[in-house]
Amino acid sequence: MPANDPYNEEVRRCFETPVHAGDVEGEYPEVLVADVSESANGSRLVVSAGVEDGIVAEIRFRAFGCPHLVAAAELVCSELENGPLERLAAIGTNGLMERLAVPVGKTGRLFLVEDALRLLHRQAVCAE
Amino acid sequence: MNRDFVYLDYAATTPADPRVIDAMQSCMGAGGTFANPASVHIAGRKSAAIVADARQKVATLLGTEPGRLIWTSGATESNNLAIRGAAMARANRGKHLISMPTEHKAVADTFRALAREGFDVTWVRPDEYGVLDIDELAAAIREDTQLVSVMHVNNETGAIQDIRAIGDLCRARDVLFHTDAAQSAGKLELDLNDLPVDLLSLTGHKFYGPQGVGVLYIADRPHCNVLPIMFGGGQEKRIRPGTLPAHLIAGLGTAATLAFAEHDQDLRHVSALGNRMWAGIADIEGLQRNGPAEGGYPGILNVGIADIEGESLMLAMEPVCVASGSACNSTSGEPSYVLRALGRSDMEAQSAVRFSFGRMASEGDIDIAIERYRFAVDHCRSISPVS
Repeated sequence: MPANDPYNEEVRRCFETPVHAGDVEGEYPEVLVADVSESANGSRLVVSAGVEDGIVAEIRFRAFGCPHLVAAAELVCSELENGPLERLAAIGTNGLMERLAVPVGKTGRLFLVEDALRLLHRQAVCAE
Repeated sequence: MNRDFVYLDYAATTPADPRVIDAMQSCMGAGGTFANPASVHIAGRKSAAIVADARQKVATLLGTEPGRLIWTSGATESNNLAIRGAAMARANRGKHLISMPTEHKAVADTFRALAREGFDVTWVRPDEYGVLDIDELAAAIREDTQLVSVMHVNNETGAIQDIRAIGDLCRARDVLFHTDAAQSAGKLELDLNDLPVDLLSLTGHKFYGPQGVGVLYIADRPHCNVLPIMFGGGQEKRIRPGTLPAHLIAGLGTAATLAFAEHDQDLRHVSALGNRMWAGIADIEGLQRNGPAEGGYPGILNVGIADIEGESLMLAMEPVCVASGSACNSTSGEPSYVLRALGRSDMEAQSAVRFSFGRMASEGDIDIAIERYRFAVDHCRSISPVS
């Protein structure tokens, strides 16, 4: 790829093979869904999580947005699956921006990921 | 030919024809015809002969006299010179100008700059296919109207304007008519001895010539003149100063000769490729064609799907090179204003993809593009919460 490629290898990998794209298919005591969007550019992110015994047993996403948003959603889903529920509230945009080399102008789209995960976490806390 | 991409962006620029490259190479280096064509010595006179020969070749392509042509750096400069130069030349007669919101930025932004300087600009919107209603143009012309600028073939949609009807109207109302022919010169037949066009812009790199050289045609008619927008040497009748690039001009001349000779073959070829592309994707659910389904320039096919995100679509289509209506793939940061002017929503405009075809594209390229576009749509839809 040319040096001015707007997408780094991580973005390309996550975008081309988004194994967590879709909906939660297993049966869990609790299935949480967060649906967030950004009106400025029409981006939308839906994240669903199947939770069991305080563990995110299955997490899936659907995204309408740029490759960076898709990649960010795939990346966080892959890292949150089978992990403790509390981690939903711990993931922020800074690390994602760096790992995915997201242009500053797209920061708002990355906040969608953070917003969705926090929303899921709040739902989980409220349900307890 | 070994390439790691499939190029279907001929409306943006075309590769130079090998015969054009040969002509240019003969001008370059110490053994070539490299001298300043304005120099009176023998080397300069050889370059001047190259320039004169190329001017005749472009004149033949356009059906006009070589003396009516001004060399420029490309269509952007030709458009600026035509519009600003004509507006300034006729400013004492009136300051009303007319154009369309679907024009190339080189035209639209020149009019906007003139509006900031006190000119009054009327924008006539096209119909949903991008075509101008001649009655709407007639209604927009006023007593103080000096210039109408309407492009021949739209660079995004391929919509063709009836420049004969527009020119006839303008002549009847004593208004200058400029057309940006960047997308039609060398592709569609243009006979300026017959067409009622006063000013015409073209560029070499849209029809297999080099980048960096273009032409402004100025008709030999009363009150049809332009004031210079740059100042320097006395080249090009003092309308466009600057040392003439003999190698670029030689390339453009050769491209013009080839376009003149191979016009029918080129048109048949791009028509066949465009039809093949459309036949391969037309059944995709939700697909919308932007621009005329019939009667447009067949070398441009613009399609969109509102529930597909444009930037992701482009990435998923790699290595097929096409143009996008997506904000993220443009320098403006906004979805295509041309498609918005046709009544498309932001979501429809941002999903648009323009396939454009040319001399070096093959049926195999089209088949790859069909496969990649279909894959990309399926990929984006498999991720999307919208579908």
